[in-house]
Formats: sequence, C-alpha cells, structure tokens
Amino acid sequence: ILSIPELFLLYRFTNYMRDKLRKWREENYRNSEQIVDVGEELINEHASKLGDDIWIIYEQVMIAALDCSRDDLAWSCLQELKRQFPDSHRVKRLAGMRLEALERYEDANKLYDSILQDDPTNTAARKRKISILRAQGKSSEAIRELNEYLEQFVGDQEAWHELSELYINEHDYAKAAFCLEELMMTNPHNHLYCEQYAEVKYTQGGLENLELARKYFAQALKLNNRNMRALFGLYMSASHIAASPKVSAKVKKDNVKYAAWATSQISRAYQMAGRGKKENKCSVKAVEEMLESMQITMS
Amino acid sequence: MAGPELLLDSSIRLWVVLPIVFITFIVGVLRHYVTQLLHNEKKVDLQQVSDSQVLLRSRILRENGKYLPKQSFAMRKHYFNNPETGFFKKVKRKVIPKNPMTDTSMLTDMMKGNLTNVLPMILIGGWINWAFSGFVTTKVPFPLTLRFKPMLQRGIELLSLDASWVSSASWYFLNVFGLRSMYTLILGQDNAADQSRIMQDQMTGAAMAMPPDPNKAFKSEWEALEIVEHRWALENVEEELMCQDLNFRGLFS
Repeated sequence: ILSIPELFLLYRFTNYMRDKLRKWREENYRNSEQIVDVGEELINEHASKLGDDIWIIYEQVMIAALDCSRDDLAWSCLQELKRQFPDSHRVKRLAGMRLEALERYEDANKLYDSILQDDPTNTAARKRKISILRAQGKSSEAIRELNEYLEQFVGDQEAWHELSELYINEHDYAKAAFCLEELMMTNPHNHLYCEQYAEVKYTQGGLENLELARKYFAQALKLNNRNMRALFGLYMSASHIAASPKVSAKVKKDNVKYAAWATSQISRAYQMAGRGKKENKCSVKAVEEMLESMQITMS
Repeated sequence: MAGPELLLDSSIRLWVVLPIVFITFIVGVLRHYVTQLLHNEKKVDLQQVSDSQVLLRSRILRENGKYLPKQSFAMRKHYFNNPETGFFKKVKRKVIPKNPMTDTSMLTDMMKGNLTNVLPMILIGGWINWAFSGFVTTKVPFPLTLRFKPMLQRGIELLSLDASWVSSASWYFLNVFGLRSMYTLILGQDNAADQSRIMQDQMTGAAMAMPPDPNKAFKSEWEALEIVEHRWALENVEEELMCQDLNFRGLFS
C-alpha cells in the first residue's frame, strides 16, 4: 500500500513516461530499446493507469520489440491487441510484421494479400509487401512494385524517400534525383532533402550537375546554418567547378570566392568548437591542413 | 450612445445563463456518442483517392515548383499538360452523376447528419426561446448596430434598448459555437459534437473526398498549371547566403 506522496509520485511518473512514449510515437523515433524498456514497465506495472492509451502503446511497444528481437514481448502485445480488436486490419498488419521478423515471408505475404483482398486501398499492407521484397534482397522487384504503388498514391512521401534510397543503392542517380525532387517540392523548408539532392547531383558529376549541387548545398545552408555536411559539400562542389578547365574566367573567379568563404566558415566552426579546450590549436591546424589537401589544384 | 447600464437580477445568472451552458454542453456530448453509434464506415474508392492525390501534386507543383531546377519543373509540367500525352488531357473519368435524392448511401448520410445536428439544435433553440423569453439575459462586450436588434432580442419589444443586450436564444447559439474547444478537451480531437467543423467540411469539400466531377477538376487544374512560369528561387542563393557569417549557435554546447 502506497502512501499519498508515493501515489502522487507514481502518478507523475506514469504520466511522464506516457508523454515520452507519445513524443517518440509522433516524431517517429526509432529508439527501440528505450521504448521496450519504458513500455514494458508501463504495461506490466501500470496498465490500469493508462486507460485507453494502452492499445496504442501496445502497438508501439510491439513494433519496438520486433526491432529488438524480443519475440516474447511482441507475442504478448499482439495477443492483447487481437483480443481487443479481433477483426482489425491494423492488428493483422502487426501480425504480419511479426512473421516478417521471424523471416516467415511466405506466411506474411499471405496475410497481407488477405488484407488487400478485403480492402484494396490499404496502403500499409502494400508497403509491408514491398519491405519484404527489400528484406529478401530483391531490389529490382521492390523498385518495380514501389513504382506501381506510387503511380496510384503519388502523395506518399515515405514511399518516395524509400524509392530514392533504393535507386541510390542501384546507382541510378538520375531516378533518385527525381524522387528527391518530389520530396523537395512537398517539403521546401526541409534542409535535409536539399542536402541529399545536392549530394546525388554531386555524385552524378559533370559541370551542370556540380553547379546544381553547389546551389542546393547553399540552399540547405540557408535553411539551416548549422548543416556542416552541406558546408563541406558547398566547398567541394565550388572547388571542383573552379578547378575544371572548361569554365570561363568569371565562373572560376566566382567559385573560388565561394570556396574561400566556405573555408573561412569551416575554420570558424572548428574554432568555436574547440573554444576553451586544450587541443584547440591542434584541431584547427588539422582542419586547415585537411582543407588544403582536399583542394583540387587550380591551374 | 452606450445607454444606461442595466443591472440584471442575479437569479438570471443562476437559473438561465448557467443552465443554458449546461444544456448545450450535455446535448453536444450526447450528439457525439449518438453519431458514433450511427456511424458506418465510408468505403473509399481507390480511383478517387488516387485522383485527389494527383490533383494535390499538381497544386504543389504550381506553388513550390520554383524550388526545383528549371528542367525538372518543365518535365513535370509536361507530364501533366502535354496536349497529347499529358495526364490532364488524356485521362477522362466516367462520371455517374450522383443525384442526392436517389443515391441511397448519400441519402442516409444526409438524413443522419440532419437528425443528429440540425434537429437537436432546432428543438432546443425553440424550447429555450419559449421557456426563457421576455427578458434580457446578457450583454455582449462589443457594441452592435440596431440592425441586430430583431435577431438578437426576440421577445423583447423595447425600442431604446441597446443592441448589445441579448436574449437567451442568442446566448444559446453563442454557446453552441463557443463550447467547441471544450469538446476537444473532453472528447479528444475529431469529435462529432463539433458543428462548426462539419460546416467547414461542407464548404471546403474535404481534401480526401473528390468533388463529384473529376473531369472538371482536371480541366481547372490544367488551366492553372498552364499559366505558371518557373522563377527559380535559387537563382542568387549563394550571394544571399554569403552576405553574413553562418550562425552556429546551438551547434556546440
């Protein structure tokens, strides 16, 4: 029997954990071990205080448990959900995910097919089928299925991102760029998509693509001043263009200016990072040497 | 202009203002649960969902196309608007005009909607008007013109009374809309007691459900896309970026 202050603390703790789980759920965190720790305790000890939230927590904990190979926990969560929602497609999908985790892909596929027979518009089942193809290493089939899916559901951003990743793995950079363009169009203020697009363009190579890369690295920096990767990307693309023999003098001059600016910003960043630390002088020097070695000789 | 300040009997507050709030709130909660009971799953048509997403993409292309390189924008515009192979030109959907009188599913939906929303409002509004008439209930905090008097002061025949003093029926309607945020607090988002949201839905014609005629929607989207020019937002991005040092605040803690 707990005293009043202990009860109060327990209540506060449960609420705090519940809010944490909600935050992780809404912002799509994949810290599965943490979720399993917190969620398992909440479910086993404090189930009564959670009310109706418990079902969505079961779902969240189950997916995290699959990620951590905790089949026991996943199975118990699934049983609870099946008991409460016997005919639900959403629960069926979770059952399918568990089969996927056990690598029983045939059975999982059968389950997803039955969902789709019942409800052809169910996007979750279709996406799981594509994930199965990816898990089995059948990238070209996954790409084909994903393309078909996107033809019907052009607005699914998660799918566009997955497709861009698949294309990058297949080194089909032009198509990956197309997917990233879709994402940039729908999320113009997301600096990460700009940066990824710029990296793909940089990898494609060629003067035009390098110019585009430089522009989009700059845009990513404009959207988020602290994106160091974009800063380095800006430096690299500008130096590459400046070093190319085919550019006009004006373009070369401009790009040298951009590269120099990027260098100064990088040094500034490293100096700020090393503030107050004894190793400061050494790391700043190391950065300068690195930048010099990366510098493509300009003829 | 403001007129003499009236002092109302405090029993009006106790026996009129508060009960009306109470009644409106309870009826709203009841409406929510009744709607949930009568609610049936809306079967979504795959074609409709797909088309609505295509239209959304075209609209986004018009609005945010300036963040894409010129060629990418041109490629997408071409995909949509090309005179021979463009999506909006080529795709014609078979449209079965859904007559609201004969289409059974729409009819039942409409009836249910009317039953749960309009009917209680009329009934309770009428009862309040009958039960609490003949006296002034409250004063709205902002001045109103005389044109509002016949609407807001039913049953009170005073020519010189300021239009800010309103009857109980208008207090009831104020409550119906005002308690919306209370419903969100108690019933969670998406609750069926939220009348103004229902009216909003009827006006904007929800993004998921298609307007009854996709062909017309395609045509108007085609026209809108045709006139859009590509002005690249990244034209001078380097110059804009470099006019000041980068702000690294928060990067190193």
